[in-house]
Amino acid sequence: MEKVIIVSKDEHIKKQIEKTIEKEFEYEYLDDINHIFNFFYDVIPDGVIIDIQNQDYSLFNIVNQIKSDPIFGSISFIAVMDNNQPFPETNRIFIDDYIKIKDIETDLCFRLKLSLHKSRRITEVNPLTRLPGNISIDREIQDRLLKKQEFAIAYSDIDNFKPFNDKYGFGRGDEVIKATGRLILNIVKIREPNKSFVGHIGGDDFVFIMNPGLIADASQAIIHAFDEIIPTFYDIEDREKGVIESIDRQGNKRLFSFMTLSIGITHNKHTQFSHYGEIKEIASRMKSYAKRFKGSCFKVDERRNQQK
Amino acid sequence: MDRVDINTIRSSIERLNALPTIPNILKKLLKLLENPSTSLNDIGHFISHDPIITTKVLRMINSPIYGFPGRIYSVNQAVILLGLNVVKGLLLSVSVFDLMKKVMVGLWEHSLACAITSRLMAKKKGLKEPEESSIAGLLHDIGKVALLLQFQEYYDSVMNLAEKKGVVIMEAEKEIFGIDHAKAGEWMAEKWSFPKNLIEIIGYHHRPNLSKIFIVETSIVHLADILVRARGFGFAGDNSIPNINDNAWTILGFSGNDIKDILKELEESMDAANELFIE
Repeated sequence: MEKVIIVSKDEHIKKQIEKTIEKEFEYEYLDDINHIFNFFYDVIPDGVIIDIQNQDYSLFNIVNQIKSDPIFGSISFIAVMDNNQPFPETNRIFIDDYIKIKDIETDLCFRLKLSLHKSRRITEVNPLTRLPGNISIDREIQDRLLKKQEFAIAYSDIDNFKPFNDKYGFGRGDEVIKATGRLILNIVKIREPNKSFVGHIGGDDFVFIMNPGLIADASQAIIHAFDEIIPTFYDIEDREKGVIESIDRQGNKRLFSFMTLSIGITHNKHTQFSHYGEIKEIASRMKSYAKRFKGSCFKVDERRNQQK
Repeated sequence: MDRVDINTIRSSIERLNALPTIPNILKKLLKLLENPSTSLNDIGHFISHDPIITTKVLRMINSPIYGFPGRIYSVNQAVILLGLNVVKGLLLSVSVFDLMKKVMVGLWEHSLACAITSRLMAKKKGLKEPEESSIAGLLHDIGKVALLLQFQEYYDSVMNLAEKKGVVIMEAEKEIFGIDHAKAGEWMAEKWSFPKNLIEIIGYHHRPNLSKIFIVETSIVHLADILVRARGFGFAGDNSIPNINDNAWTILGFSGNDIKDILKELEESMDAANELFIE
């Protein structure tokens, strides 16, 4: 059964909501939205019904914080509003739907179901990292090109991922990919909260788009965090040795050093691109160039007048 | 007062959802978070001075939601993987219990001093990850917080008993609860999927000789705990100083001068920490 959290202090409303959804959903009450993170330790709820009568900025703020994290972004938020309450601006609170108190009895249950279905259907995200996938990445780049925006794009790839995956299994490999996605996302977002973009191409490949002035610094921090965190995914004995024994692409046993991260970066400061494929191609080539260097590193394309 | 049934204790501890922290620290941290030039490392550094917030952050990153259970030990790493929004959310969910303040202030200072001492010892022993020892020192008494929160009246009588009989707090805990805070902390750390070494250190910090894999790390926290009590930083629930385990002392092999160095550096670090955290 899908799980819903009901956030309200109003006993009357709580009763009303309970009556309409009790047969179809599992639910729990929460008086104070500030404590919502305590729920997330064990399960992520599917939906949140949140009473926004007489509510202020701090409630909007926490809803937005939750919704802007990809891990929690798919939770549907339905706002319960007073019958005469004016609608908040849509960019101030990231809710998925609303319901007026007078309609709770007749409409809430169906609205909730619709909303949960919709969030499952429309999110084109990588199931592992919950980051946007290729369609969204291409659309993001094309949008920026059309708007003639100046931006930098980075491709990242994990070196020695395959031998790690072969030795420790897919489960551990997935953990590494999740951790890499998280650290890229968080480091990019703290430096450029609004206009940056992070996507997951697939496998161990990620993309991030930022202001050209910020991307080198962010890449440096990403590499640093990657090199710090990655050893914790190896077994203690291997950490002491600093290498693992695994199988290369030819099927021979050999020693591999720990995983590192290679990042290739390009931008449209000096070159005009008209199609997302062109700039992606160069970023990808820069990544291959970065891979030739030992250890984690990033390489920025500073050539002018590119051959397209 | 009757003894509490051991199963009741375990299930109460495992039900614990929110831990209290000191409001001052929280206020300062929120201020830090509001500053746009604060980096994730600054936040991690700050959080790693508070056992309660550290517990919350580690619990979250090791929870099944994120999918790397039992792996992340360092607060800095946890903060990078969780991100600013989640860290903020976790801080907002910290509840403050007035009843805890008095005991916690002392316990917090004791924990912080243990964290510093453990890190210094780990460095002296040439351990690869002194930060891990620091976290273990910070959290070794988390079981006391759990027992205090769930069984405050009983814990009061534990402290009275320890004082009256002049025994260490864990003896009194065993008399009243049937278990001590080390066991309580171990249950909590297991329930919250903490990394294995952390669970072991918390569980065996009074009996390091029983530790199975991380005997050096456990011995470090054991000795740090006793040194800090002897030096008189903070308050850990009683006024006695437990004996140093022979085996742990031999394994660590510190000389008198080593201990002097450690105590000297501890005092300097505590002065700096006091400026930061205590008004």
